[in-house]
Amino acid sequence: MMKKPVLGLLAMMMLGAASAALAADLKAGEAKVKAVCQACHGADGNSQNADYPKLGGQYPDYLAKALRDYKSGARKNPIMGAFAGTLSTADIENVAAYYAAQPAVLVTRH
Amino acid sequence: MIRLSLLAAVLMVVLPATAPAQAPAPAQTPATAQTPAPAQAAAPAQASAPAGDSAAGAQKIEMCIGCHGIVGWRTAFPEVYKVPKIGGQHEAYIVRALQAYRAGERSHPSMKAIAATLSDKDIADLAAYYSGALPKTASK
Repeated sequence: MMKKPVLGLLAMMMLGAASAALAADLKAGEAKVKAVCQACHGADGNSQNADYPKLGGQYPDYLAKALRDYKSGARKNPIMGAFAGTLSTADIENVAAYYAAQPAVLVTRH
Repeated sequence: MIRLSLLAAVLMVVLPATAPAQAPAPAQTPATAQTPAPAQAAAPAQASAPAGDSAAGAQKIEMCIGCHGIVGWRTAFPEVYKVPKIGGQHEAYIVRALQAYRAGERSHPSMKAIAATLSDKDIADLAAYYSGALPKTASK
């Protein structure tokens, strides 16, 4: 009896999280990538220049976390700090989703 | 559930810090046995960054694979997100990332603890291994 409302709440929270993740707008992400990111990281995230990490196929939540940290200053890099500072919370989710959706150049190696 | 993830978080931070004490010594032996002339290769580089040796790196990944070797593995602390894929990443970027964790410039607790145990040579070897040609069986 007591557990049901808790389970319902949990289910609602999980659904909420899932729909938030789905809400990322790939088209908007692509536009932002082309305007802000692609000069260094490439349109598909497969940068040929070793100065810039490859992002294609990376996990979107990791990419979003990195951008949030650059924006907040928790992760310090003059270039990325400046670019991430121009991105809104929605931009970050969209850009991360876009690069994550590109063909994977990164793999899990074990 | 909460207890389990707390335990996992504590383990992630504590285990890597204790692991290196046993790991490197036996790992070195096969690597040097297979590589005939490390002295010659290392000599020209001198004071600059040591050259990475992928085969030696393969002997040093036991601290990495618990997270980076599992598809979709998530961090448990302090924030939950999927541990990044690093296979196929640029070698120079991996070197810089590990140096930044070691110097405290990047702040993930587990990565700081692990990177603190790595020498410049360890970092170069790991970067060579993870950036290198991927085995055909590598999964996404």
